[in-house]
Amino acid sequence: MSDAAVTRPAAGHRFPLLAAFAAGPAGKAILALLLLVLLAAFVGPVLAPQNPYDLAALDILDARLPPGSPAAAGGSYWLGSDEQGRDLLSAMLYGLRLSLLVAGAGTGLACVAGSLLGLFAGYRRGAWDRLVLALADLQLSFPALLIALALLALSGPGLIKVVLALAASQWAYFARSARAAALVEAEKDYMAAARLQGLSEGRLLLRHLLPNCLPPLLVILPLQLAAAISLEATLAFLGLGAPATEPSLGRLIANGFAYLLSGEYWVSLFPGLLLTLAITAITLAADRLAATLDPRQPG
Amino acid sequence: MARPLMALPFASRLSAVVARALGKAACAVFLTVVTLAVMAPTPARAAPLSIGLAADVSSLDPHYLNAAPNIGVASHFFETLVAVDKDGQLVPGLAQSWQAINPTTWEFKLRPGVKFHDGSPLTVEDVVFSLERPASLTQSPGPFTGFTKAISAKKVVDAHTLRLTTAQPYGPLPLDLASIFIVSKKAAAKATTEDFNSGKALVGTGPFRLVKFRRGEAVEMARFDGYWSDKPAWESVTLRILPADAPRLAALLAGQVDMIEGVPGADVARLKKDARFRLEQRVSWRTLFLQLDLFRDASPFVTDNAGRPLDKNPLKDLKVRQALSRAINREALAARTLDGLGVPASRLVAPGIPGHGEKPAAEPYDPEGAKRLLAEAGYPEGFRLTLHGPNNRYLYDEQVLQTLAQFFSRIGIKTQVETLPLAAYFGRLRHADFSAALLGWGSLSGDFALRTLLGTPDEKTGWGAWNWGRFSDARVDADIREALASTDAGRRNRAAETAMNQAMQQLPVIPLHHQVATWALRAGLSYPARVDEFTFAAQVRPR
Repeated sequence: MSDAAVTRPAAGHRFPLLAAFAAGPAGKAILALLLLVLLAAFVGPVLAPQNPYDLAALDILDARLPPGSPAAAGGSYWLGSDEQGRDLLSAMLYGLRLSLLVAGAGTGLACVAGSLLGLFAGYRRGAWDRLVLALADLQLSFPALLIALALLALSGPGLIKVVLALAASQWAYFARSARAAALVEAEKDYMAAARLQGLSEGRLLLRHLLPNCLPPLLVILPLQLAAAISLEATLAFLGLGAPATEPSLGRLIANGFAYLLSGEYWVSLFPGLLLTLAITAITLAADRLAATLDPRQPG
Repeated sequence: MARPLMALPFASRLSAVVARALGKAACAVFLTVVTLAVMAPTPARAAPLSIGLAADVSSLDPHYLNAAPNIGVASHFFETLVAVDKDGQLVPGLAQSWQAINPTTWEFKLRPGVKFHDGSPLTVEDVVFSLERPASLTQSPGPFTGFTKAISAKKVVDAHTLRLTTAQPYGPLPLDLASIFIVSKKAAAKATTEDFNSGKALVGTGPFRLVKFRRGEAVEMARFDGYWSDKPAWESVTLRILPADAPRLAALLAGQVDMIEGVPGADVARLKKDARFRLEQRVSWRTLFLQLDLFRDASPFVTDNAGRPLDKNPLKDLKVRQALSRAINREALAARTLDGLGVPASRLVAPGIPGHGEKPAAEPYDPEGAKRLLAEAGYPEGFRLTLHGPNNRYLYDEQVLQTLAQFFSRIGIKTQVETLPLAAYFGRLRHADFSAALLGWGSLSGDFALRTLLGTPDEKTGWGAWNWGRFSDARVDADIREALASTDAGRRNRAAETAMNQAMQQLPVIPLHHQVATWALRAGLSYPARVDEFTFAAQVRPR
């Protein structure tokens, strides 16, 4: 990855990729937005006025209060409360963290498994290549949501299962990119030189081939992360995934859905806005990263 | 390893990746839209009457699953010997009259001149066939056999008279028969459940004929012109399956359906003010309760606070059950979680139904007392429990479970909630997979509800057919038996009340609330609000 940034104008900076990424007002704005989302997700819950996953802290008598209402336990529900009396602000911060963690774990797993399979296929070629490619094509021929729904319907609810379902519906993107890169890279002289040294296959793949195949994977990773967040939210909206007592953003939106027509807008609206913000931030960052990594685009 | 970056294909690959990601997003959006569209209104058809139903029907076979959504839809096509009016009273249906000619024999006189949809006349053979068919459906996820098991012999006296003999004196046989639909022997003799769904075997005597069954979507019906009683005011009717509250309400507001059942509580107040619509409301027969695992020593969803199995099942301890019951603020549950569409319950039948009693004391909300009881039972630090329930079967079912989890957590029982789609839920409930499960039950008499829900399970007699917690108490059984054997209504009701009191002292299930049923209609329509919550298109009339 440092190889990539050496060619960038920001060479010489301590974090050349970051500097290139944040160059110009657009880059700074995207970085700030991304930091805001990450802070909200990982620092926010510590500062949240209520632990919305602690059922004993909730009070049904405080259900569906509009934004700014005083809470029975003291303080205010700044963004209102949901139908179980959860402080919506707290629930959103916890829910964002959960959404990011689940989507991140699923995408990470898909990235590791898919990349290794793709590298292996591109390096070995032949039957292995055809097998991995066939599996990847099979996965890509189904919409991700369909795969995830089918897996969750078979395995039952649970966060770990959502992570696995997300990984299962995304690994092929990584596998195909890694394979394509590996096909090109494996033919190059440095690989031939490494092979001639008699290095083991594992070392060849992980130490020599993998680092040179990283850039395309790095570009897909955040794009897939954004897709995974929206997929997780869709699953949660449909009632699959996190338990109802530990809502992620999708579940919060679903909770408020029933009250939208009654004018109690806040239960769905605020989590929906936060979800949009998170996905936008990560998608913009992905675009920016792709541009930064692309040698032919002016930074 | 200073290598140049990947050469040319990168940009095109990137765009391909982006395009694919966008395509994927579009796919996700599309599927979401499709999913929503299933729940949300689709353009109205040219049907004079369209009704939005709140629960899906799993089969049109009227003997397949003893669950209200199926019974409600089946009632449009099929009828029973004994009918039930809007207040839960038994009235003549396909039987014109009935009487007990001795303590163990009931005689039913069939109504003459009743025709099936295919034009053939109703005969006593059809009735005998229909009474036998439920027992042949061994794969039923919720059988009707509890209603036919009391019958030990059937005797055809003449073309319009049937005598049913019971092994013991059995007073409520007419009520049992209000649950068994009469099908055409000719059409159904060799039919599978699938043949009913396709319409092939769906030949009844009811006010409507099936036009088309679109699973999960709609049931299209046409008026049966040969119907023996008051003909419906509508030539064709569509029952739309709209399980999600908001789309169902939206369909009504947009004029795509003329009437909906299960109006969300949050919207009742608003609809009341809207002159375009009318509301019909009443406390229904449906009582909700938590069924508890009382038979296993290690219950699958009860653990200690670290998630390890406990050496015994705390739910078997009466003090723990009392603690659970006292932890529940039923007033708050009814007012807030249910938006007022509930009444606190202490019995398994609704007020006004025989066996409920005049005014039984409701369990007081007493979290401190509940904590003390838990400590006395040996669980001062509580334990962990997972509650199971359906989503979208009962009013706010998932929310009710979460509120219960909230109440239980407050006395130290760390509670999780897991909800499942109805079909999967009943399947697992039947296998007694759960430790504590939400169930709603509607019954027109206490001894009946007790027999099915708390009678010692016995496959042969049909007792305890829904007693998945396997409560068993000889005294309760004896009281239920006495009630059931009484042909005198007063004695029967007193015995049912005794049985109910006996049973509920031991809290084999935790009663929660009675549902309030609400219908919303176009202002030009009227509907007699039924205690049994059913929505029958034939009873919808223009005003």
